[in-house]
Amino acid sequence: MGIAKMNKIYLLAHQAEKDRILQVLQQAGVVEISDLTEENAETADWAELVEPDQAREQLQEIENQIAKVRFSLDYLNRYYPEKKGMLDDLLAEKEVVTTEELAAREAEWAQTSAEVYTALKKIDEELLALRNEETRLQNTRQQLLPWQNLPLPLEELRETKAVSVQLGTIPAAVVNEFQKQMQQLEAASFYEIIAQGRDDAYLVVGWHQDDAEAVQDVLKGFSFNRHNLNQFTGTVAENLAECERKATALAKKRAQLLSAIETQLEYRQTLQYYHDILSVRQEQKLAVERLVRTETTFVLAGWLRAADVETLRQKLSAVSKTFALHVREPLPEENFPVVLENKKYFAPFEFVTKLYGMPHPRGIDPTPYFAPFFIIFFGLCLTDAGYGVVISLISALGLLKIKGEAIRKLLKILLVGGISTAAAGWLIGSWFGVSLFGSPLLFDSMTNPMLFLAISFALGLLHIFWGMLIKFVSLWKAGDYFAAIADVGFWYGLIIGLLLLALPQAAQVGKYMALICAIGLVLTQGRHQPSLLKKFTSGLLSLYDITGYLSDLLSYSRLLALGLATGVISMVINTMGGLLKGHPIGFIIMVLFLIGGHIFNLLINALGSFIHSSRLQYIEFYNRFYEGGGRSFMPFRQKTRYLEIRSEK
Amino acid sequence: MLSTGLVYAIIGAAAAVLFAGIGSAIGVGLVGQAAAGVVAEDPDKFGSTLLLQALPGTQGIYGMLTGFLIIWRIGLIGGNVIDLTLQQGLSVLFAAMPIAFGGLLSAIMQGRAAASGVYMIAKRPEEVGKAIVYAVMVETYAVLALLMSIITLFYIPL
Repeated sequence: MGIAKMNKIYLLAHQAEKDRILQVLQQAGVVEISDLTEENAETADWAELVEPDQAREQLQEIENQIAKVRFSLDYLNRYYPEKKGMLDDLLAEKEVVTTEELAAREAEWAQTSAEVYTALKKIDEELLALRNEETRLQNTRQQLLPWQNLPLPLEELRETKAVSVQLGTIPAAVVNEFQKQMQQLEAASFYEIIAQGRDDAYLVVGWHQDDAEAVQDVLKGFSFNRHNLNQFTGTVAENLAECERKATALAKKRAQLLSAIETQLEYRQTLQYYHDILSVRQEQKLAVERLVRTETTFVLAGWLRAADVETLRQKLSAVSKTFALHVREPLPEENFPVVLENKKYFAPFEFVTKLYGMPHPRGIDPTPYFAPFFIIFFGLCLTDAGYGVVISLISALGLLKIKGEAIRKLLKILLVGGISTAAAGWLIGSWFGVSLFGSPLLFDSMTNPMLFLAISFALGLLHIFWGMLIKFVSLWKAGDYFAAIADVGFWYGLIIGLLLLALPQAAQVGKYMALICAIGLVLTQGRHQPSLLKKFTSGLLSLYDITGYLSDLLSYSRLLALGLATGVISMVINTMGGLLKGHPIGFIIMVLFLIGGHIFNLLINALGSFIHSSRLQYIEFYNRFYEGGGRSFMPFRQKTRYLEIRSEK
Repeated sequence: MLSTGLVYAIIGAAAAVLFAGIGSAIGVGLVGQAAAGVVAEDPDKFGSTLLLQALPGTQGIYGMLTGFLIIWRIGLIGGNVIDLTLQQGLSVLFAAMPIAFGGLLSAIMQGRAAASGVYMIAKRPEEVGKAIVYAVMVETYAVLALLMSIITLFYIPL
């Protein structure tokens, strides 16, 4: 139990069987493939015999395919999003297919996905053209709209030898002035204001060519802005009607294109499956890039759990008669990837362990050691029987429905944490902030917080001592008896001695115990220093670590603070809700308020409880013995979303 | 007529809610800004960034519950207002100070730590646990401040 024993394997086989073997490895999902193409000591003595294997062209081909399928899926999702809540993802189950079924259906899937891609690409181009058309139409409309009251066909507004007619705008603010000047002007001319907008007045102006200069001078004076509608024929109203007609046609075309997209929706699942298949294959080709080869063989190196070696050998024998599998233990200085293995009841707590990071491959898996404390701390931080029951019920419900492995671990922790919360709440008699069943079983945290604080410190001391014990045992087992006594034993003695000082009967014993252990620490803690003086000073300084123990211990007071916080917020919610009762409508609001308020309190404090219980492990507990820096085991396996591929059902 | 002591106690209740609340508002806002930027790139990170955003929000709650505890102890809720002496009123006011200012500053600093955590999970989504731990390290001091405030309030003789 704890950190799994790992073995390093080297697999030598024929190139011809490479694809089949990789498929078996991928389905088994128990081997982490190491990169042999990098230069390293392992390959040193046979490095000249091999060269890096590669699958670049196939990889490129698969990546192209994936890009196409993803384009189709994204395109469908853009116009017809898959309706999914957060829960749907959690509840989703993968479709199971066997390798044989897959071979039969794959060609069909590839065909379909190619067809869908072509169809969608075409629709996309047409939609783009449509969008351009719509923009152009919109611009024409904008251009014509102010002139809609102009009754003349536009082709008649051309310049002739004798007469010139122009359309244009002048600023609306100067219209009156313009009219006055035009009236005073002694020239053969006319003008008419067609429309008056907020900023501009739209007018048609005509003049005899002989007077052109005079009229144009006036126009220039009013910053006349000529509009050119020469490209149109017929009246403006006719042209606008034509625009409308075209717009309707375009809208119809758009609807047709959208429904054409909709007809492709039935292939969405096929595309999703095909995407999964392709990414599985992509992983295989990426694995090939980590191998080395000779002309006819390849070599694969990797890590796997010692327990999986035999099953893997059997699975390989089923598909190949000619392979060599060399298995060895990790070398003393070799850092293998870490797999946590724990008994059924402790396994869910690996979730908390992994949140922090993996322990050192040769260190200790802390999971089973902190699990009971985690649960107790979680319960004490929440301390409300009602909340505990709610958390347990919801987690139990989730466990019945949800398949995802990581989320199940979390739910299992919450299930037990809920029970612990209910127990703690029951002891101090708080049900949703109210004492439902008379006086509390143990004590009331509101009237006796100091007792709660004492319990928090006692648990903290136990937790810290427990962590020290783990260190002690691991040193002892490793045969380092001296370190076990000097680094852990003396600290035990010093802390216990100091605690005994508080008891009048045992004060004398405590005094000597603390003194002896302190001297022991001063004499031993500097033993790695080279000179005598340094040995003594760093030994003396090590006593300063007592502050570390003290601050760690005080940190457990958070149990009281968070426990009280839950209780007081419940009280706030209940009191505020209580102000509303006595009136029929107020009563309904009160019920809604109480439900909402308690849900809020539960969520925020459950989050707080979880992270503070975790923190007490990561900082206060890990400090005593834990060594981190492990690397998570990442086996070569199928990473799929919709499909699960098995060799047989 | 309210006694001067009572006025000080009420100032204490207001200060607890006010300062811790300001801190949380700033902290939560900081994380929200960072989170929105990250979620714009990858909407799947909404859940984990929201978790980080919630962290600096607790100080405001601590302040609120301290404020509530004060008005509960001085009898403002329930109707039997206690006639506090000046000394009692000042004691209550100062009992509120740890969470008022501990909350104010720790929420802002926790907001900064959590906002950096958000950037961290933008690059390494699997490390959300570490990002949370960094932010929770700051929370400790808010918790200690709260503890001091409420223990004092429980035991001030009124």
